[in-house]
Amino acid sequence: MPTTRRRALAGALATTVLATRTPATARPARAQGPAVKVGAVLEFSGGLELFGQQAKLGLDLAAAEINAAGGILGRPVELLYEDNKTDPKTAVEKASRLIARDEVLAICGPITSSARDAMAPTMARGRTPLLYATNYEGGACGRYIFCFNTVPNQELAKLVPYLARTKGARFYCFGADYVWPQRMFQHARKLVEGLGGTILGEELAPFGVKEFAPVIRRIEASGAQVLLFALPGADGITFIRQAEDLGLLKKLTVGFLGFSEAYLGAFGPGRGQDMYVAVPFVAAAEATGPKEFVARIRARAGRDAVVSHYVMTHWLALTALARALEKVGRIDREAVVEGLEGLTVEAPTGPVTIGAKDHHVTLAMFLAKTQGDQLVTVEALGPQAPEAGCA
Amino acid sequence: MPVDPVLLLLDATAQALTLLLVASGLAVTFGLVGVINLAHGELLMAGAYTALALDRAGLGFWAGLALAPLFVGLLGLLLDLLVVRRLRERPLDTLLATWAAALVIRQTVVALFGPASHTIQPPIEGSVLVLGAPYPAYRLLVMALALLVTGLLTWLLFATRVGLMIRGTVADRTLAAASGLAVRRLDAAAFAFGAALAGLAGAATAPLLSIDPQMGLGYLLPAFLAVLVAPAGGPVGTAVGAALVGGGESLVSAFASPVVAQLAVLGGAAVLLRRVAGRRAGRER
Repeated sequence: MPTTRRRALAGALATTVLATRTPATARPARAQGPAVKVGAVLEFSGGLELFGQQAKLGLDLAAAEINAAGGILGRPVELLYEDNKTDPKTAVEKASRLIARDEVLAICGPITSSARDAMAPTMARGRTPLLYATNYEGGACGRYIFCFNTVPNQELAKLVPYLARTKGARFYCFGADYVWPQRMFQHARKLVEGLGGTILGEELAPFGVKEFAPVIRRIEASGAQVLLFALPGADGITFIRQAEDLGLLKKLTVGFLGFSEAYLGAFGPGRGQDMYVAVPFVAAAEATGPKEFVARIRARAGRDAVVSHYVMTHWLALTALARALEKVGRIDREAVVEGLEGLTVEAPTGPVTIGAKDHHVTLAMFLAKTQGDQLVTVEALGPQAPEAGCA
Repeated sequence: MPVDPVLLLLDATAQALTLLLVASGLAVTFGLVGVINLAHGELLMAGAYTALALDRAGLGFWAGLALAPLFVGLLGLLLDLLVVRRLRERPLDTLLATWAAALVIRQTVVALFGPASHTIQPPIEGSVLVLGAPYPAYRLLVMALALLVTGLLTWLLFATRVGLMIRGTVADRTLAAASGLAVRRLDAAAFAFGAALAGLAGAATAPLLSIDPQMGLGYLLPAFLAVLVAPAGGPVGTAVGAALVGGGESLVSAFASPVVAQLAVLGGAAVLLRRVAGRRAGRER
């Protein structure tokens, strides 16, 4: 096709238009093109909806911020939420559908280890990255899985020595009868014994126990100074409630593993005080990063919205995905994996680095305790590297 | 330092009597009316939430304890009207339908109160010395309430006209209907009454534990076990069942882990149930 003057002019004009348009597409709130679909399989009913809702707060904020800043490589991000009903089988079905029908780029969630383990083969077969952002026992490894929250060593490495030093080195472990408490206690035992302390007893309880009096008596009789406690959810609240009524909390200090702001307010005014935990985010922190993050969440979700580390880690997962794709410069599932490996993202609490091999995060941790109706920072622990348990 | 044996016995008694309170509603709906109501735990939960709502509204705990049986009794009436009476001749379908009702109640509570746990403070704080051992006063109150309910239930069933009619309907439905008893209305009344007892138990135990949408689940199994292993129908039989299941679990877990305790109770119940079934089969022959 011969180049006429008119064509050349048209071409030149088009180039100018494109040249002036290019910065426009990067301008805030002008994300264009087909949406980048990201799935989220979460617990919105069936028992753990509290955590599903926390995760959604973080994901929604991240998506809004990414889109307000022009999207991912100019394309808006769209979240497709699915309720897994706190059931592993449903989680797998929803994940398969998101991968095959909706062709999502990645899936965020779930909350429980059982749902995550059930979904893992589906994710690997579909070559779709799973962005898991709940604290767990470790050992979830593979090309298509990334973990954005803590594993046992990150929660325990500083908490146990602190409690041993300030409260006493006689420990008792009590938790729920499944893998996370078991791994937590294994790790705690190493730490306690390394410090020359003793573990006077280790016990696990089945789900749904309503009466803890016999266990509370036994823990009290053991003479323990610290109770490492890993009974998540409502059963944990029942235990603390009864331990307080039966006078146990006056005799020892509780290290409440897995505690977060989501539990606050459940104990009643003046109850459940001085329980310790190490977390990657404290909502009541004085630092500007967390303060602004909480303000951003509450501007969207209401003044009374509970903001726990689950909100922050799920925000982190989606934000990291956007940064990863921008780094690689392509939008596909393999680009997510390539981009996330070794990536450092700025989180409200400071830089977070994703391990290139283990796909787990090194992030700042905080020693915190319950005080009044809040979880307050006792000590900033600095960045903690994960022992992910990947062979 | 070993645990004071008085405390162990008190704890076991407390657990047995709390379970008695929790199972007494089931003893009526399952033991008498014969409905396998898998929403029993959710009725308890509704009672606890009634107490929570009234406590938050500033009416205090006692108002909740008084109104929970009324409200949950009405809920039971509704459940009977919509579900139970339509499936009277199909017990297995009742099982499914009441489970569905349980899911509906649970998610309704999530929608109204959110998924998080709540607690309410006991109306009486502090401890009382029992045989030289300090024991939380509110726990003692719940124990007394369980005994009171069992006493009233016994009186109602065995010393009143309504009780006679209910027992008559249970013994022979056809004959009772033929004798002019409104069996359907009696069924509904008994079911609603069982629900009201569940509501009372839910409100009474609310200050002892986490109030959350899932709390009913943990009650269901021990309550059914207590009614099933009861050597005889009626409130006294239920009391023995509750003592075996609740007291047993408490005493075993005083010496072993809660997992072992639950397994021991389940195993023991299985053995007992076989014997009960055998005895019934023997009687029918």
